[in-house]
Amino acid sequence: MNPTENLVKRLPTDMGGLPAGRVQQTEHELLPWEKRCHALADVLDYHKIINTEEKRRGVEQLGGDMVGALTYYERWIVAFALILFQKALLTPGELAKKMDEVGARHAR
Amino acid sequence: MTTVTNFPQPIRETVKAAGETPVFKAGDSVGISERFPVGHYRVPMYMRGKRGIVELILRPAAINNEEEGFGRNAGSKGYYYRVAVPLAELWPGYSGPSQDRLVIEIFETWLERI
Amino acid sequence: MIISDHHHDHDPGHPKTGDESMPGYYEIMETAVRELLVEKKLIGPGEIRRQIEVLDSRTPALGAKVVARAWVDPEFKARLLANGRAACEEFGISFYDDTQLIALENTDQVHNLIVCTLCSCYPRPVLGLPPDWYKAKPYRARAVKEPRVVLAEFGTDIPENVEIRVSDSTAMVRYLVLPQRPAGTDNFTEEQLAALVTRDAMIGVIKVNLDNRHTP
Repeated sequence: MNPTENLVKRLPTDMGGLPAGRVQQTEHELLPWEKRCHALADVLDYHKIINTEEKRRGVEQLGGDMVGALTYYERWIVAFALILFQKALLTPGELAKKMDEVGARHAR
Repeated sequence: MTTVTNFPQPIRETVKAAGETPVFKAGDSVGISERFPVGHYRVPMYMRGKRGIVELILRPAAINNEEEGFGRNAGSKGYYYRVAVPLAELWPGYSGPSQDRLVIEIFETWLERI
Repeated sequence: MIISDHHHDHDPGHPKTGDESMPGYYEIMETAVRELLVEKKLIGPGEIRRQIEVLDSRTPALGAKVVARAWVDPEFKARLLANGRAACEEFGISFYDDTQLIALENTDQVHNLIVCTLCSCYPRPVLGLPPDWYKAKPYRARAVKEPRVVLAEFGTDIPENVEIRVSDSTAMVRYLVLPQRPAGTDNFTEEQLAALVTRDAMIGVIKVNLDNRHTP
């Protein structure tokens, strides 16, 4: 057996039975952008532009480093961008340009 | 006025399409396949190769969600089943009572009759 | 190790502090994606706002009403157990995400607990959004392996002669635990009963008792 097989076979989101610590009963009120991101997921699913299963697969395909480092909604929005590129609904260039424009609105 | 006294009987001439009849029924012993698809799956690693009992057929038949994850959101459908597996079967040395169990939805293509 | 033990596994979604007036990288990305989709007419300009209203209207109070009704009305309870979604729809609780619902009844013989080990499946139409801990590694990893220990961490002790049934959601069905009605509530009104039912009781990590009355 190849030592790296398990990295490929086990999705980074497949956690059942893995060693883990105590449940930290944390919760937080969603930030406005997080709530918009959740609403975006629902709207994309409703239109079948990105269905819920595609979203899950998109998050999985971010890979272990990103899945571990990004927060819940951060993973979603990156996954959406990548899926939209794959579906040729957006291009990376368009998104980059728009992100610059949005960022510039708030620059001093 | 006509009084209905009997439940309708299945009409023998009605032929069902492929995939319309569930393969398994509640109470069936099933094995969960020991295979390792890459890319996307909905059967967790901890369930691979385990044996359980079908508790419920989920109706109606639906799209295979592992394929749906790659955009195949139409086409042949199948049944999902709620399958119960004792925790002692899943985890060697499980310290809780033997009746404790896990119930999980599994798509038909992952199940074999045992 | 595949899953890095990053602090986000313990505290997912904790907002990063920083300059409150300057949107962060991911907020900029979300805004840009949304605006591009509207510009391209893939989504309508008011749809996100409308969906936020839908989300804001879904809270555990809805589930609590359903549970309280099941406690006082045996025929409603039978309908709830036969078809969870249809019973909730009697209350006007629509299933906007097209999922189905199975109500899992706790009894003297069985205690139910719900989890989604692969992601964060949760009965959002009737409970609202899940707490961070439900979506984080400790709960998802251990609820299926050592449920009694996890329950103990919530202060819940289930006797050995009661079966624990853990439901791991993987497909289009969502689960709502129907907790046992606590003793000493025979004279409670339906509203008073609903006030006892917390989100965590409908996930199955705690039982309903007269001590955990919450403010709505």
